[in-house]
Amino acid sequence: MRPKLGLRGLKLEKVLVLTGRDAVKISVASIITAFILFSIFLLLEGANPIEAYGHIFSYAFDPRLGLPTTIHRSTILLFATLAFILPLKAGLWNIGMEGQLYLGTVGAFAVAYAFGNLPSGILIPLMLITAGLFGAIYGAFAGFLKGKLGVNEIVITLMLNLIGYWLLYTLVVGGPWMGIAESQSRPLPASAWAPMIWKVPFTVFLAPAIAVMLYFLFKRSTIGFQVKALGSSQPAAEHAGINPLKISLFVMVVGGALMGLSAYHTWAGDPAFHLIPRPEGYRGIGELTYWGIMVGLICILNPLAAIPAAIFVGSLKEGGTVLVRRLGLTYGLDYVFMGILFLTFVALQFFYRYRIMRVKKKG
Amino acid sequence: MPALTQKIRNIVSRTPMKRGRRIRKIPLEGIKRGETILRTKGITKKFPGVVANNHIDFEIKAGEIHAVLGENGAGKTTLMNILFGILRPDKGEIYVRGRRVEFKSPLDAIDLGIGMVHQHRKLIPAHTALENIVLGHPKTEKILDMRRAGGEVKELCRKYGFKIDLNTRVWQLPAGEQQLVEILKALYRGAKLLILDEPTSVLTPLETERFLKSLRTMAKGELAIIPFITHKLPEVLSVSDRVTILRRGKVVKHLETRKATMKALAKHMVGREVLFRLKKPKVKKGKEVLRVENLSALSDKGILALKGVSFSIREGEIFGIAGISGNGQHELAEALAGLRKTEGGKVVFQGRDITRASTLERLKKGIGYIPPERVGVGTVGEFSLVDNIAMNLYFDKEFSKRGLLDYKRIRKHTEKAISEFDVMAPNIDTKAVHLSGGNLQKLILARAIPRTPRLLIANLPTHGLDVGATEFVRNRLMACKKEGMGILLISEDLDEVLQMSDKIAPIYEGKFVDIVPAEKASKETMGAMMAGAPLERRTKRRGKQLLGGHK
Amino acid sequence: MWPFIARCLEVATILLFAGIGELLDQRSGVLNVGIEGLMLFGAASGFITAFHTGSLLIGFIIGTAVGGIFGFLHGLFSITLKVNQIVSAMGIWIFAIGFTTFWADRYSGSTVPLSPRMGNHLSPLFFLAIALVFIVWFILSKTHLGLKIRSVGEDPSVAEATGINVVRTRYPCVVVGGLLGGLAGAFMSLTYLRLWGHLPTDGMGWIALALVLFSMWKPWILLAGALIFGVVWQFGISPELFVPGLGLPLGVCRMFPFIATIVVLIVISTPKFRRKWGLAKPAALGLPYIKE
Repeated sequence: MRPKLGLRGLKLEKVLVLTGRDAVKISVASIITAFILFSIFLLLEGANPIEAYGHIFSYAFDPRLGLPTTIHRSTILLFATLAFILPLKAGLWNIGMEGQLYLGTVGAFAVAYAFGNLPSGILIPLMLITAGLFGAIYGAFAGFLKGKLGVNEIVITLMLNLIGYWLLYTLVVGGPWMGIAESQSRPLPASAWAPMIWKVPFTVFLAPAIAVMLYFLFKRSTIGFQVKALGSSQPAAEHAGINPLKISLFVMVVGGALMGLSAYHTWAGDPAFHLIPRPEGYRGIGELTYWGIMVGLICILNPLAAIPAAIFVGSLKEGGTVLVRRLGLTYGLDYVFMGILFLTFVALQFFYRYRIMRVKKKG
Repeated sequence: MPALTQKIRNIVSRTPMKRGRRIRKIPLEGIKRGETILRTKGITKKFPGVVANNHIDFEIKAGEIHAVLGENGAGKTTLMNILFGILRPDKGEIYVRGRRVEFKSPLDAIDLGIGMVHQHRKLIPAHTALENIVLGHPKTEKILDMRRAGGEVKELCRKYGFKIDLNTRVWQLPAGEQQLVEILKALYRGAKLLILDEPTSVLTPLETERFLKSLRTMAKGELAIIPFITHKLPEVLSVSDRVTILRRGKVVKHLETRKATMKALAKHMVGREVLFRLKKPKVKKGKEVLRVENLSALSDKGILALKGVSFSIREGEIFGIAGISGNGQHELAEALAGLRKTEGGKVVFQGRDITRASTLERLKKGIGYIPPERVGVGTVGEFSLVDNIAMNLYFDKEFSKRGLLDYKRIRKHTEKAISEFDVMAPNIDTKAVHLSGGNLQKLILARAIPRTPRLLIANLPTHGLDVGATEFVRNRLMACKKEGMGILLISEDLDEVLQMSDKIAPIYEGKFVDIVPAEKASKETMGAMMAGAPLERRTKRRGKQLLGGHK
Repeated sequence: MWPFIARCLEVATILLFAGIGELLDQRSGVLNVGIEGLMLFGAASGFITAFHTGSLLIGFIIGTAVGGIFGFLHGLFSITLKVNQIVSAMGIWIFAIGFTTFWADRYSGSTVPLSPRMGNHLSPLFFLAIALVFIVWFILSKTHLGLKIRSVGEDPSVAEATGINVVRTRYPCVVVGGLLGGLAGAFMSLTYLRLWGHLPTDGMGWIALALVLFSMWKPWILLAGALIFGVVWQFGISPELFVPGLGLPLGVCRMFPFIATIVVLIVISTPKFRRKWGLAKPAALGLPYIKE
């Protein structure tokens, strides 16, 4: 395909296969472009971009101010990113992180309320396992439908998200788990609280560890190989004896389990919570999981890259709140940045297929 | 600013030119029999490394059938594409009815009354025949008047003796009728010159006969037809008035058909005695590797495509299935590979019933499958050579220990396999997408054969390969046979099947017409059976009913 | 009873607008899973406009237009830049989540003036939606344009060979899909809800997508599905109007439409329906058209 762009002899050339290096260049370019566009946006809103970025990151990483929350949210985001990356490597779009998080919440809290008097050493692992299990089952449902019947997993997982939202709603708002305030839950027993290591919940170390494990899963493991094969070409994978149903289930179960684990981290890991908040509150965390989609795509589905990326996005989100307080800007600017970043990334995906080359002048 | 607007306009609409309702520049209407419709002078087209067309002079008159013969690579496709406006010649001129023309795109050619019927249907399967015919026609009204259009097309059908139900969906039509739809499409757009690309390659002998009759009828008037062919020389020559032979980009001979003999034509096409005589090694047949009993399977559309076939293959034996694609052989191959559910029957491999076994189990037990599509199915483009080879190793305890792949072993194995099978690539980490078709096929062989399967299913193994790669694949299969592998060979090339197989089974409409030992098989008998030859001919030769197939 | 039916028909209207737009879009081969995003933009922009101008009509127009802009954007990404269509639509949707929250949530709780209703209960736009179903059906099955659109959705290279400009056929379909998605959203915020809350679309855009799949790309089946789901949705909101004394907690009732959608999707994926569905599917759906 060679349409002339009318610009001093440039032409477009098709890309045969995208090298890792090029993909990284594109992702970095989209981040930089997003920053530039967001800076323009800030200017339009009447703020000095450099000052704003300074505020954002100084707040987000200040141990006395935003750092604990930044770390907390980044960990949730990392879990969500990993839960998105793994299925997509097999070709499945898991958009159900929100719902899997909610189901994990149900599992964890059910255990905590029922067995609150058990010592932490038993209660917490039990909560983790149950939360993971609930999330895994939720994921398995979608994975099974996709693997066996070929049902569109995007719509299914989304429906499950909404069902999960209302499930929590039923339990919390005027329901059996209702606490003192009518729309939030009873607090967790103290034995359920996540123990802190270096002032952060232990789950914070769990997430990066899992990211590293996933990296090695893809690089060296047999099942990781099958996942990649299925994601590259289902017919080829089937010809090689790979069972699409088995692999679909595997990725969705693990993805769901990861989000289930993150549920424990979310509520039991942040002293500000230690219970299920009002629907607006837990919805806010649920929405955070959608950024996992964007982070996962920008990281080119690389679990290791997801770690710094999640921290970066988490800090942006947390630091964004300071813009409201300190600079009087409107609430929700972090959303705008995310949106811009996603749009620039999508636009730059063009370069996944085409390269701009200079036309060689024929002598 | 204007440049920017133009850039935006270019981006929004990527066609090279505007299309609207065009008036014919040179009306081919009113052309009379015997008038020269099209003439080329000195057409030359070069591609990197090869001169595809070298000063080709060609001419066709109205009411004439002028066949163009040539082997693969002789330049037929290039010339065809130039005549239809798909390619532009580097040098040379084209004259239509005496006036010089230049085609910027096929639409120019169509406007001038030139139509092309491609080898691979350019029709939309989901639409009806009539819808395909009227699609995009400038004359078609905004609100479709199918009755009027149907009437006009029916008139065309009557004129040329085509029998076809215009309201069936194209995917339901057999190959011969699909071809008629394409011809009608061209005629409906006013084509007076038809270029046919390998028109009989996918037709059964019966369909071919009907087609040739239609050709004769069409050429009775002022239509001119250029069939471009490689095979089935006798049939097409039986209807053509003149023949032009291409070899290596040049016109080597140009004569009237009645003055030509088959032998002379073949010699001109090829230039030398290309004797592709395969040495069929004398191999002692071992014990039975595969036994199939009454196997049936559905096609992708849910119709019964395989209707109860039974046969067996022994070690060191090549069992060849000859048939035109679409008669159930593909479903048979997939059923044996475990990729398709069966609707009855039994498959016994090395004495064990594997009818319900999964693909993975069959791979492990020693069945290898070479699929017809190399790209995307047989290989994964984004995967390196190593990973492609690993697709058949990951389940093997030798290469996968405790859930982890032993890449060191896998890489060593890959190096060996790549060199043994002559796969041309910079290194084993090259991604498969960079490989040519022949190399991909070698990669597929390199993946399956070193595992020493006891049964190798080769489904269209030389399809679309050039001469060198074809030779390589065939020699390889012979080597496998010598090593005692049982091979099921499925091919559309009857010569290939006849040369390589020990036993041949022509397949027609899901059943084996017969199973014939190679010594007793001839091209005529096999060809006839492949087309569901009429009962009397077979009865005469065999003396008994042979439907349903048996050992 | 009648107000309940009216609300059901309003939901059906929303689903119809969004669905028929997407149906047309998909028939031309472009997949837009981000209907929810289009609806959000339509809802937000329509609401804010109506709030400030006091005119519902302008609100509707702006809401529809904004939807069209994002439909065009999706088309630009998918058709011209040939980006993965799912990624593009997801991008627009997530952008919508963020941006409309930022932009419109300050209006939470505000209302807009009452929209004109027929016979005191039903918005006239319902009839517009039905008319649209008829129009789209007519175009697709009875006109040359419709044949071209369908061909482009089945096999763009064959269509191009007959002289059809694939790009020029697909863009209008995608833009119309965007316009109607925006209209659906505007209708939701201006007529159905009449006040703003965080992310008002609540999953309806996804249900519309599921309906398009379920309808096997036939407008009349889409109509039937929209009517049914209109009832199911409204039942989830106010079950007591339909079945008094049911006594189920609110949350459980609100789940019904989503459970129903899952059931519907499972049903059409069973082998019995799958073949018919596979044949009805535009063969080139979701695939970028690359000219050789």
